[in-house]
Amino acid sequence: MSAFHKIIATVKSAIERSPRTAPPAHPASPGVIVPVTHDARRAELISQFARELEAVGGAFLGIFSPDEVRARTVALARDIGAHTAAIGAGVTLDTAAVARALEQAGIAVIRPGASGDAERASYRERLAGCDLGIVEANAGIAATGTLAVIGTSASPNSLTLLPPANLIIVNADRMRADLAAAVSAIGAETFTTKRVALITGPSRTADIEKMIVLGVHGPRKLYALAIWPNEV
Amino acid sequence: MAAAKPDPIPDFLETSRKGVADADLRRKLENSTGRHLEHVAHMRAEFPGYDGERDVARRIKEDAIGRLDELLIELKQKLEANGCTVFVAADAAEARDYIIKIARKASARHVVKGKSMTTEEIDLNPALQAAGMEVVETDLGEYIVQLRRERPSHIITPAIHLSKEDIGQLFADQLGIAYTAEPEALTAAARERLRSIFLGADLGVTGVNFAIAETGTLVLIENEGNGRLTSTLPETFIAVMGIEKVIPKLADLSHFLEILARTGTGQKLTTYTNFISGPRREGELDGPRAMHVVILDNGRSAMLADPVMREALYCLRCGACLNVCPVYRRIGGHAYNSPYPGPIGSIVSPNLFGSAAAKLPFASTLCGACRDICPVKIDIPRILLHLRWKETQAQPPTKWPADARRTRAGVRRFARMARHPRTLRLLSRIGGWMLRPFARDRYLRRMPGPFKNWTRWGRDFPAPGARRRKPRGEG
Amino acid sequence: MPEVRLFATCLVEEFYPSVIESAALVLERLKLKVRPLRSAFCCAQAPFNEGLRDEAVDLARRFLKSCEPGTPVVIPSGSCTSMVKIFYSDLLADDPALAKKAAAMRPWLFEFSQFLVNVLKVKYVGARFDRTAVYHPACHLTRELRVVDEPRLLLGAVQNLRMVDFRNPEECCGFGGAFSVKLPHISAAMVEDKIVRIKESGATAVIANDCGCLMQIGGALHRQGLQVETFHLAEVLAAR
Ligand code: SF4
Repeated sequence: MSAFHKIIATVKSAIERSPRTAPPAHPASPGVIVPVTHDARRAELISQFARELEAVGGAFLGIFSPDEVRARTVALARDIGAHTAAIGAGVTLDTAAVARALEQAGIAVIRPGASGDAERASYRERLAGCDLGIVEANAGIAATGTLAVIGTSASPNSLTLLPPANLIIVNADRMRADLAAAVSAIGAETFTTKRVALITGPSRTADIEKMIVLGVHGPRKLYALAIWPNEV
Repeated sequence: MAAAKPDPIPDFLETSRKGVADADLRRKLENSTGRHLEHVAHMRAEFPGYDGERDVARRIKEDAIGRLDELLIELKQKLEANGCTVFVAADAAEARDYIIKIARKASARHVVKGKSMTTEEIDLNPALQAAGMEVVETDLGEYIVQLRRERPSHIITPAIHLSKEDIGQLFADQLGIAYTAEPEALTAAARERLRSIFLGADLGVTGVNFAIAETGTLVLIENEGNGRLTSTLPETFIAVMGIEKVIPKLADLSHFLEILARTGTGQKLTTYTNFISGPRREGELDGPRAMHVVILDNGRSAMLADPVMREALYCLRCGACLNVCPVYRRIGGHAYNSPYPGPIGSIVSPNLFGSAAAKLPFASTLCGACRDICPVKIDIPRILLHLRWKETQAQPPTKWPADARRTRAGVRRFARMARHPRTLRLLSRIGGWMLRPFARDRYLRRMPGPFKNWTRWGRDFPAPGARRRKPRGEG
Repeated sequence: MPEVRLFATCLVEEFYPSVIESAALVLERLKLKVRPLRSAFCCAQAPFNEGLRDEAVDLARRFLKSCEPGTPVVIPSGSCTSMVKIFYSDLLADDPALAKKAAAMRPWLFEFSQFLVNVLKVKYVGARFDRTAVYHPACHLTRELRVVDEPRLLLGAVQNLRMVDFRNPEECCGFGGAFSVKLPHISAAMVEDKIVRIKESGATAVIANDCGCLMQIGGALHRQGLQVETFHLAEVLAAR
């Protein structure tokens, strides 16, 4: 018997000494009861999201059409005095266009590249030295002001980890009421194959006398904006 | 190489005496824990679903622990399918040896650690250091206590026993920065130090908050981002978890997350909830090349076999029971001589560390504040009582000082006499007569026998039977 | 006249006889026939909390033998009531006959304020007590029995009594039975901090429904030479 099976057997015999309990019935997560129009519901979720995000020290820039996003991103980069920005591939947004707009405004752009050891090391180094990381979230959570960011080869995890400031974009259609709804929208399949991070505000600590300080390891500044998709 | 002889574990009575004598420590604890309790009260008040979620979360744990064998098999399979290497360790030594083996194989020199009580439990850091590696704790609080060569004094807020001035002095001495007591500046200094350490690290070790069997996903919860860095940057990543961390389904998770941060830190959700299922995949630019998961028993299956103890395995390590505990708040975490202090420590430590921790279950008035705040409603007082009873049966018996032995003998004698109320009433009347002449306005200043410690420690003793007449309405 | 049994508890018998007299008086004024339960002396909590189960079972047996379902037993202590009402089920788990008796007795066991407010449905008992006081909610009363409002309602109806708040009232006073002498340094530190908060409130009296707390808080107040008195709820309700 392998060591693993020995422990499993121990656990099993331990369990048998007292009875099992039935698995709980999960209560449905509290949804909306009053029917509202799709637009009204979306707007309501986004305003709740914005409130919650600000409460944890993030900044909500507003709701923009896909075309306006480019100009707003450039304006943000200018406002915070960014010289270089790193950007990952979008989920619903054409971030290549955003990258071009940044470059036209004179801001250097770092894009994910090949995955060889040397390329990875240099990408990491450049990320650590850049001023702003930009990604699009896969989903948002209104109840907590949370952004669900999925790491991929075209939008690596480090983008929301190494730069001192982040802009995270979220599509209004992907805003969910609560955690349970967001997790089920992302789906079990994604969780097994990708890294998912739920990000709720800038990095923070309360380790010194329980006083809150932002930006301990991750980004000190977190900006978010919502895209209002063009109607078809 | 001969392993260094571990220091004998100091006695709880001694260390707790040091704790209460430190007025400064008590003030710091009162401030910090008080602030936490205010946040929690606020969170609970504005989230009407709180109590319902607690019940659901508890039932999920009951179910999971009740079929832990199946879930562990499923978890191991799924993690392996996701590309992880899984090792199940029966005890601390096995876990340490495995981790050191992996570290050596990866030729690791610089180890970064995310906050993990489980690695404290198995004393991993000294073992890695003895194997020639440099180990840096990266959670700010852990980093601070590591610089002081101390253990964490709290499972969530490791440096809760220190003031900002203490930390300012520490950083001035050890990091060579100009003295400041500004939390912002201190945090910035640590960030700078740790960032360069992160970029040069070749092995990352963290704990685990939940392991989802269905998907083979580890969930890591944190505020600082150091856990994300630790699990993302180094080429080798090792996650260490107790067997009890497994939950069945992805859909179960939200029920825990809704209550965990609310109780643990007074937030709706912590800043980062990280889902990690495996190492870097083809084409990805970050994440470890190899990922190992160490699943540790170390006495947990023995707790599982004890029907009263079992619910201790539901613990989420949120730390709230420490903050609300009137004993913890007076003596601090170091007094417990265990990585797990406070109420949860008092029930878990005797199972993990045996006779060295046998006194801890007595360090409670059974006031029940811990059970009331616990997000999964663990009946800690009931378990304490159970462990007290087990302690009285222990062979060899626990070494108590003479006064504590006298107390127990006194209680036993009293209990035997109380079976004969009439005799006891007569005896106590005689005792009362004898003591009454020494009383001054119904109180005695000094008591003999088992009550000696009462009057020796700041309290007068009510003279037996002196309070006969009921008070009158006038003030 | 309906009958109730009144169980004094060991601490009251030894140190606070006036509590039992007061409790009896309050109940009699409410037209009840009060019969003391004197064939038991202790609820078994003292040995139970020390881990001495066998000794505790003996005392529990004795207690259960001295009462019958059908007649309420009133106990002027949250802690002892919790013992007989709640902890007996754990203590007696291995003795089915006793466990059965304990379960049958459970609905007939009442803490004093619980009985007045929830069973007799009274709040005003004609008491007058001219003091400024804080109420200390005892731990077992609050967190085992969930008796939170009852004592406060009764105190609210006492003439001339001015109740004031103090910080963190629910935190334990540090008594804990044998704990108070076994880990006396911790116990003393707990009551010391409690007294700091009581002092801040400006109260001249502390009221509680548990004699353990009264011993602990009263003993520390007296040692510090403070002019703050301690009273059991029953004493306050009996005063005129
Ligand atoms: S016992 Fe409960 S309150 Fe204490 S740390 Fe564990 S989950 Fe939190």
